[in-house]
Amino acid sequence: MREIQLPLSQTQKVRLQKALETLESLSRKVNSDASVIVADSIHVNHEDGVLKGHGTADLNGEVVATLCGVVERVNKLVYVRALRAKYKPEVGDIVIGRVVEVAQKRWRLYINYNQDAVLMLSSMNMPDGVQRRRTALDELNMRRIFEEKDVVCAEVRGFQYDGLHLQARSRKYGKLNRGQLLTVPPYLVKRQKQHFHHLEEFGIDLILGCNGFVWVGEHVEAKDDMIEDEVSQSDHQVLLPNKNSVSLEEQEKNYTILETRKYICRAANAVRVLSTLGFNITLEIIKGIIDLSLSMNIDIHDMLGSEFGVLVAEKEAERRSSNKKKR
Amino acid sequence: MEYSSDGRIKRGNHAAKMYIIIIIKCLKTLAFTGMVGLSLGERHFIQGGIAQDLRSDGRKRLTYRPLSVETGVIPQVNGSARVRIGATDVIASVKAELGKPSLLQPDKGKVSLYMDCSSTADPAFEGRGGEELAAELSNALQNCLLGGKSGAGAGIDLSSLIVVEGKICWNLYIDGLVVSSDGNLLDALGAAIKAALSNTGIPRVQVAAGTLNDEHPEVDVCDDEFLQFDTSGVPVIVTLTKVGRHYIVDATSEEESQMSSAVSISFNRQGHICGITKRGGVGLDPSILLDMISVAKHVSEQVLNKLDSEIASAEAEEES
Repeated sequence: MREIQLPLSQTQKVRLQKALETLESLSRKVNSDASVIVADSIHVNHEDGVLKGHGTADLNGEVVATLCGVVERVNKLVYVRALRAKYKPEVGDIVIGRVVEVAQKRWRLYINYNQDAVLMLSSMNMPDGVQRRRTALDELNMRRIFEEKDVVCAEVRGFQYDGLHLQARSRKYGKLNRGQLLTVPPYLVKRQKQHFHHLEEFGIDLILGCNGFVWVGEHVEAKDDMIEDEVSQSDHQVLLPNKNSVSLEEQEKNYTILETRKYICRAANAVRVLSTLGFNITLEIIKGIIDLSLSMNIDIHDMLGSEFGVLVAEKEAERRSSNKKKR
Repeated sequence: MEYSSDGRIKRGNHAAKMYIIIIIKCLKTLAFTGMVGLSLGERHFIQGGIAQDLRSDGRKRLTYRPLSVETGVIPQVNGSARVRIGATDVIASVKAELGKPSLLQPDKGKVSLYMDCSSTADPAFEGRGGEELAAELSNALQNCLLGGKSGAGAGIDLSSLIVVEGKICWNLYIDGLVVSSDGNLLDALGAAIKAALSNTGIPRVQVAAGTLNDEHPEVDVCDDEFLQFDTSGVPVIVTLTKVGRHYIVDATSEEESQMSSAVSISFNRQGHICGITKRGGVGLDPSILLDMISVAKHVSEQVLNKLDSEIASAEAEEES
């Protein structure tokens, strides 16, 4: 994740400061002592006894934070979860990963976690959609499904003795093509009911991975990949992964059409703006930014400029304060 | 163009004032491109975007990312600057030391360039990993900024660095550091060096009158009087990266991973070419190269104006 700092002029600085102050005043006061910076003391009840976890230290009988982050408490254990850290998986999370290795009966995926995640061949639906035992032939044909460097969407299944396991038991999971992958700090993507979004008005797909990987791409219908002749073929022989043998002319015909591409870039830049500002990334906010940029007739690339960044911060402050009033 | 007896192109008053010192070096492809691994779908998407003139971040083929300059970032040196182009972040510093000019060129000072890649930019730069790239960058910058061996096309006037001819001169040590790398390092470093040089103050030197003819004249370096360095001749570097049939400016590291070849051309204020260097394994047709030069010249004017205004505002901010 490479960070971008917006070069701001004096007036823009003041405006951004004001918007951020408004946002801070709107945030809930209940949990305000949960977020700490280095050397803040953490309030604990010593009578119950405490277990000092990660990111805490003892200083003159007081528990202090050694990281910037959020204090988490599990029974007696007190630890600090750093904000700018790697992704910490939870069961059921939707993640996007990149295949780093095709191994025996499994793929290894990079998901911005301390270790690579494992996607077993047996824990994903076969392209032909038939439920059956995976044969040696299936194993040999694994590269037909995912190759190295492919971007794959899956769900966290759980921790097993040999690492973190993923599963992809539905047609909505699988390989992602025709679009771009963005990386944002994982804490910006909150767990929600829905992580797959189809923006019908723009014809694009948006997948918000809990690990901070965001996919913006052309919309693909979740279709049945059953192709009869291929199935009968694969019963008998080892298939080679189809390399890009198509000619340049053919490729050009297959390019994403310009209209869709414009919306993909616009949505991607909306995510980039949110990531530079450090705002949560949700469908509602992204849509808001796209609409804002469209209504103001802002060029796609100018969305990454400082002026638009300040504008987004101001709009967000406005939106949240009006939400608050409604309640 | 006139040629001197030793075959080098000489500066002359020719009508077509294009002093081209073409130092085309085919550098290794791998080191520049970084460690980006993209899937077939993503590669296809990037190539399609370049073909349709709408790149992944919404830019056109010949648009730069926002550029920002900060000067005077290192207090211990004579001049320093930090340049950010998108997520690419580089720092350049200039240090001046008194030294002795070389015997071959007694009327000229010396400039040495040294680049370094921080391992914070990319894990691949850890240990000695960044050295190869750093050496490539220093070489390319040398070609683009310091001109040829004859001294033609040099961005820095070496004779202005002389204090006592044949005895004392200023040696400029220009160091660059890549803090964060997202493609287009050469342009960023070139811009940072230009900004650092315009931020450079060289102390005024007084030579003791009686000792002028001695072997080691006595000098007195003023602590508070500085001479501003003339940077109007320092060129900017424009790198055109060729992807598929088209070429783009200011490629990100994702786009650089798809390049077939890249040409870096440096232009000064007058629109003269000061140096060219090429990298990437694929060859270029001469007609395409000439086409690229004319496009790069057009782009360089915009970049120069943008850079100059950024440097001026950065200096104004530093003073306030």
